[in-house]
Amino acid sequence: MGLRIMNKISTLILHNLKKAKGQYLSFGVFICLTAFIINIALVLAFQTFNAYDSLFDQLDTADVNFIIPQIQDHSDLLTEVEEIDGVSFVEKRGGVFMPVTVREFAGSDFDMNTVFYNLDEERTLNRLDVTEYSGKSGRSVFIPMYMKELGGFAEGGRIAYSIDGKEHTYDIGGVVQEMQYGNYGTGLIGGYFPGAVYEDFALEYRDHVIAEYSLKISGTADLNAIKNAISEMLREKGIALLNINDRDTAKQTRTMVCTLLIVIFLALAAIILAVSIFLSNFRIRSAIEDELAQMGVLKAIGYTSQMIIASAVMPYLLVGIVSTAIGIALSYAVLPFVAGILAIQSGFSYTPDFDIMALLIVMLILTLAISLFSYLSAGKIRRLEPIHAIRGITGNESAGHTILLLIVSFGIMVLLSFAGTLLYNVNVKPDHFMNTLSEELPSVIFTAEDGKMTELKELLENDSRVSLFMEYASVPVSYESGSLTAFVCEDFSKSTNDICYEGHSPVKENEIAVGNAISDEFPIGSEIELTAHNKSASYIVTGYIQSVNNAGAVCQLTSAGYEKIGETTNTVNVYLYHKNANEFITEYEENHDAIIQSSVNFEQMSENGKRMYTSIVSVIVMILFVVSVLMVLLVMYVIINSMISRRRQEFGIYKAIGYTNRQLTVKTALALIPVVAVASIISVIAGLWYLPAINNIIFSMIGAVKNHFEVSVWILIVFAMMFTAVAFVISILLSAPIKKITAYSLLKD
Amino acid sequence: MNKQTVISAKHLKKAFGKGDSIQVIYSDLNIDIYKGDFTVIMGSSGAGKSTLMYSLSGMDKPDGGEIHFDGTDITKLNNDRLAVFRRKQCGFVFQQIYLIDKMNLMDNVITAGVLTSKDREEIENRAKELFSLVNIPENTWRKTSSQISGGEAQRAGIVRAVINSPNVLFADEPTGALNSANSGAVLDVFTSLHKKGQSIVMVTHDKKSALRGNRIIYIKDGTIFGECDLGKFEQDNTERAEKLDEFIKEMGW
Repeated sequence: MGLRIMNKISTLILHNLKKAKGQYLSFGVFICLTAFIINIALVLAFQTFNAYDSLFDQLDTADVNFIIPQIQDHSDLLTEVEEIDGVSFVEKRGGVFMPVTVREFAGSDFDMNTVFYNLDEERTLNRLDVTEYSGKSGRSVFIPMYMKELGGFAEGGRIAYSIDGKEHTYDIGGVVQEMQYGNYGTGLIGGYFPGAVYEDFALEYRDHVIAEYSLKISGTADLNAIKNAISEMLREKGIALLNINDRDTAKQTRTMVCTLLIVIFLALAAIILAVSIFLSNFRIRSAIEDELAQMGVLKAIGYTSQMIIASAVMPYLLVGIVSTAIGIALSYAVLPFVAGILAIQSGFSYTPDFDIMALLIVMLILTLAISLFSYLSAGKIRRLEPIHAIRGITGNESAGHTILLLIVSFGIMVLLSFAGTLLYNVNVKPDHFMNTLSEELPSVIFTAEDGKMTELKELLENDSRVSLFMEYASVPVSYESGSLTAFVCEDFSKSTNDICYEGHSPVKENEIAVGNAISDEFPIGSEIELTAHNKSASYIVTGYIQSVNNAGAVCQLTSAGYEKIGETTNTVNVYLYHKNANEFITEYEENHDAIIQSSVNFEQMSENGKRMYTSIVSVIVMILFVVSVLMVLLVMYVIINSMISRRRQEFGIYKAIGYTNRQLTVKTALALIPVVAVASIISVIAGLWYLPAINNIIFSMIGAVKNHFEVSVWILIVFAMMFTAVAFVISILLSAPIKKITAYSLLKD
Repeated sequence: MNKQTVISAKHLKKAFGKGDSIQVIYSDLNIDIYKGDFTVIMGSSGAGKSTLMYSLSGMDKPDGGEIHFDGTDITKLNNDRLAVFRRKQCGFVFQQIYLIDKMNLMDNVITAGVLTSKDREEIENRAKELFSLVNIPENTWRKTSSQISGGEAQRAGIVRAVINSPNVLFADEPTGALNSANSGAVLDVFTSLHKKGQSIVMVTHDKKSALRGNRIIYIKDGTIFGECDLGKFEQDNTERAEKLDEFIKEMGW
C-alpha cells in the first residue's frame, strides 16, 4: 500500500485505535500470548536439538558404545573393531557394570544399572564436562546431571549405593554432563570415581569389570549396519554383549519430553491464534455493523473500499506486530526456566539464546495470519453500498456472533479437555501414562538362581499378596540390520500392558511382534531372522509393538520362541495387590536366599518415573489452565463490551421501565451462557472422539503409537460445568459497566 | 444567458423490491442540474427525492439511464472509481449529520480533506477559514459531535462537505433534525456558499429551506412534475415566498 494512501488514512487509523482501546488491548494480549508460546516452542525446537548436537560434538561423543565382560576381552579385538567397514576410530576403556540401588533418589530407593568409570582415565571419546563441588579428594563420586536434577542430590551432599546388599556412601564430588547415557531412558547410567576410589571399587567388584568400546563412524556409514556387524562379530567369538547403545537412540530418549512439550506448545499456540483470529473477526464485523452509517459516509466523501478496509485492518496489524514483539521478548524471560525443567529429563542443560530465525517465523506467521483474516473479515466493507450503509441496510443480518462464541468456547473446551485428560491420566490414573511410555509395570522383578525357577513360581503361586506373576525378560538380540531389545514372556495374554498397536503379540514359538522402528521393514506376515548366542532362527511377524524408551527397536518373543536362539530366561515379573514391594523383597531375600539371585523394586522405579513426568506434566497443565482462564476472560470481555456498546439504547429503555442494574447484569450474562453451555456439551460429546485423536497425534511424535489414555466422560463433564460456571461469573463481572448506562443518557443520545 | 449544465441525467430508471412487491420510483426521468444553481428538489414522502439526489451524486446506482456529471457518465464507473469521483466532485450534507463520533470536528474535516490534498497544514488552514465562515468558534474545533449542539454539528458537516471545493454540494434534508434557530443558521451557510458560486442540490420538504434555492423542482409519479424559478426574486422578498407557495399548491402538495 502506497505511502500516499497510508497518509490519507492515518487519521482514521489513529481514530480507530483510540476509539476501541480495550478491544485492541485484549486482542494484543492474545497475540502476545500466542507469540510467547510459539517462540518458546520454536526456540526449544531450534536450540535444544542443536545444543544437544553441539555438546555431543564438543565432548567428542562416540556414535556407538558397547560393553563386554573384561574377562572375555582380548588384545586383538580393538583392531578387529577398527577394521569394521565404516568405523573411523575406536577407543577402549574400563569400567564396572552392575545393578545398584541408589538410596534416597528423590526420596526413595532407585534401582539403576550403572557403569562406574575412572574419572582420571584419559578419554579421547565420550569426554566429560565436569563441574566440581568438593573435588576429587577423599571418598567421592561424580554423578550425572540427570541424577542430580531428578534425584535431588544437593551440591556438597552425599550419595549412597547399595550393591549386592552392601552400602557404599560417597561425597558428591561434582556433576558430570556427558552424552553417552545422560538419563536413564536407555536403561543405563554412569558413575565416576576419582582414580584411587575407582581402583578400590574395581578390585572389590572385579567380577563386574567390563571393557567398553567407543566407536566413531564415518559420515556415510550406516549406524545399524555397524551395530549389526559388532553383534555378529561378538557372537562368532562367543563374547557376551552386555550393552550396546548408539547416538540416535540416546538423543531420541533424552529429548523425548522436549519434543512432547514443543508439540503441545505448538498445538496450544494454534488454538490461541485461532481464537485471536475469531475475536478480531468478531470485532471487525461488529465494528462494521455498529458503524455502518459512518462507513457509508466515508464512502460518500470519497474513501475507497480498499482505504476503509485498510483503516480497519491496520490497527490490528500494528497492535499485532507490537504484541508479537512483546510476546517474543517475554518468552526469553521464561525460556531458561523451561530449559531447566527439560534438563530434569534430558540430563543436559543449556541456556537458550536469542533466536533470529524463531523471531522471523513468529513475526511472519502472526503478521500473515492477522493481515489475511482481518482483511477477509473486513471484506464485507467492499460490498457495502454507501447509500445502503447510510440508510442502515446491511443486506443480511449477521448470526455470526453466536456462532463465533460457540466456536471460541469450543476451542477453549478442547484445550481444557486436553489438559484435564492429561492431568487425569498422569495424576489419577498414572498407570495409563506410564503404560504409554513404558512396557510392563510389575511391582517386583525377581531373578531366580539357576534351576530354581519352578520353585520360585510355586512360592509366588501360593502367596496371597501376589495378584499375578509371569516369566518376563528383556534380552538383546540382533537381526540383519542391527540389534533389538526382545521382551520375552511365557504368555503375552497375561501381560498387563498391551503395547501391541497393530496385529497381535506372539502366541506360538515361531511368532514375533516387532517394534515401530522396524515395522516398515517387516510387514505383518513376513519373516525376520534373529540371532543370539551364536544361534539364529526365523520368526513370522504377527504384529507391531511400541516402545518409547528403546525408540521402537524392540520385539516380543514367547519364552519358547526365545529358547530357539537363547538360554532359558530366569526373571519373573511379580504384580502385588498392594504397594509394599520393599517389604516383599526383603522377606523373599531373607527367607528364600537360595532361590532368589537378585530382585528389583520396580514399584519404586515406576514411582520415580511417575514423579518425574508428573512434575513436568503439572507445569504443562498449569500453563494450559492459566491460558484457558485468560482466554475465557478476554473472549468474554470482547463480546460483552461489544454487546453493551451495541445495546446501549436497549439497556436505557429497560432502565427507564424499571429494571435494576442487577437484573440487567444477570440478564446479559445469562444471554451468553446457553451458547457456552451448548459448546461445552458439544465438546464433551465430540471429545470422546477427538481427544483420543489428539493424544494419538501428540504421543505418536515421541514414538507412542498407541496411547493408553482414558478419556473420562466425567472429567469432561466436570470441566464443561466448570468452564460454564467460570464463564458466567466472568460475564457477571464484565457486565458491570451496564450500571453506568442511565435512562437520561439514552434521551441525550 | 445560457446556463452551463453540470449534471445531465437521461431516461433514469429506479425501482426497489422484487417480484410482486416491486416499487417503481421512476421509469424515465430526465433532469439537468446547472452550475451555480441552488437547486431544491421537493415532493411528497416516498416520491423519490433522496433517491434521485443520491443517483445524481453517484452514491446510488440507477437501474437504467445515463448520468453525465461534468462530462463523465458516472453510471459506467465501478465503486472505487465512483469513490474517487465523489471525493473530487461532490460534497454531502446529511439529515442525521453523520460526523464520525469520538473524532473531533477538525479531524472530521481533515479526514475528508486529506483525500484531495497532501498538505495537512493547508487543509487545516482552509478548515479554519470555513469554520469561521459557518460561525463555529475556535474553542469548538477540537470538540466531538456529542459535545456540541446539533446546529453546530451540522455546520461542521457542511465544512466537511465543502473542504474539497466540490463541484456540487448535495444536501439531504439538512435541517430535518434541527430546531428553528439552528435551521436558520445552517440555511444561512448554504445561502452564503451559493452566493460565492457553489452549486447546490438540496432535498427538502421544508418551505423555509426551499426558499433559499433559486430553482425548485417538484417530483411526482416518478417524473419532474413541475419546476419553479425563484432566482429573479431577492432572498427576503415576500414575492419569493408567495411564488413558492403558489408553485407547491399548483403541484398539489
